[in-house]
Amino acid sequence: MDRPLDEPELVERARRGDLRAWESIVRTHQGISFRTAYLLTGSAADAEEAAQDAFVKAYRALGRFRRGAALRPWLLRIVANEAHNRRRSAARRERLALRAAAQDRPGDAVPSPEAALLAGEERERLLAAVESLPDEQRDTVTCRYFLELSEEETATVLRVRRGTVKSRLARGLDRLRAELGEEAE
Amino acid sequence: MSQLEQRLVALGQELELPEAPDLAPAVLARLESRGRPFPWRRAAALALALLALAAVAAFAVPDSRSAILRWFHLGGVSVERVETLPPAVERAQVGGLGRKVTRRQAADLVGFRIALPPVEGSPPVYVLDDALATVVLRAYGHAVLLSQFSSSNQDALKKLAVGKTTIEPVTVNGNPGLWLEGGPHTLTYLGRDRTFRERTVRIHGNVLLWLRNGITMRLEGPLARSQALSLARRV
Repeated sequence: MDRPLDEPELVERARRGDLRAWESIVRTHQGISFRTAYLLTGSAADAEEAAQDAFVKAYRALGRFRRGAALRPWLLRIVANEAHNRRRSAARRERLALRAAAQDRPGDAVPSPEAALLAGEERERLLAAVESLPDEQRDTVTCRYFLELSEEETATVLRVRRGTVKSRLARGLDRLRAELGEEAE
Repeated sequence: MSQLEQRLVALGQELELPEAPDLAPAVLARLESRGRPFPWRRAAALALALLALAAVAAFAVPDSRSAILRWFHLGGVSVERVETLPPAVERAQVGGLGRKVTRRQAADLVGFRIALPPVEGSPPVYVLDDALATVVLRAYGHAVLLSQFSSSNQDALKKLAVGKTTIEPVTVNGNPGLWLEGGPHTLTYLGRDRTFRERTVRIHGNVLLWLRNGITMRLEGPLARSQALSLARRV
């Protein structure tokens, strides 16, 4: 093969039973799949299991995948479903943590220690506020902002209508602002 | 995006998430192990492929310059010899062999008596689309698949593409037959709505096709030619 196959071609081959094509798809999407599963289950071990099961099930379900549709939301929907079955209660969830702060990013001015400290505290508060959201709002906020899925993808993944995504986001953001003592923008 | 939303996106980028494991080896191992151990899984795909295989013709002379090296057609079947096989599934992705019923019920469904070699007990018969009857037999230490269907429905033709496979005309109890051996070959088959299904199935086993009282018989499995012929003659 002279050129790398694009995704629709890989899907088509996988649909015909080509496991190498499916392997390629797994490698492309396993990062986002694992992150999605992790954020929804709150456990690295459960997330790995959920994502793995999802790729096995998705392969078997390829016959039902609509040609021309976007693969990623379809896959993530299966991942989310698997993750949902393994969801942990908030108390048993692994706490989300932030990377060590003050990693210089190219182009950024080096912040003063005070600014870095303040920024770090503010992020911790925001994260804690997200963690304390009701599950539905937390999942929606997580998909939309942490995983940076579009509203439409978020709706597909969480199996709700787009309008529901919008309303959950609105309510979630209101709640976060209230939690942080901020005025609505 | 509001300022809060932007902060959330930035926060997501700064989350310390566990490193994503490489899932591909485990996923592939599971898919591969699921696909292989049951002979009837591949047989299931074959069964569909067989739905309308009819009698088999004599050879034509191959034209080595054409992509299709040899083509023959008889009744409901056309067999093509091609230089390269199309991409094919290794593993059955289609449903099962059909409904599991008794031999008598199967006969009622397909409209002909299910012929079997002498076997112990009464093995179940799988019936697909009320047209194809399949029995899984043990022979010479292997699981082999004996499928049969009435050749009267010539409209539901199928197409069999053959790669580097030996194709040899044979006779079974005086009836014409065809022995396909060595090298994988593929079957592309017609759906009942008379459109070609896209699925192409790769077959590694040897295949014996023959006619018996207007019924097309097909034996598939890891048997040698003499074993397959011997078994077929006892049906």
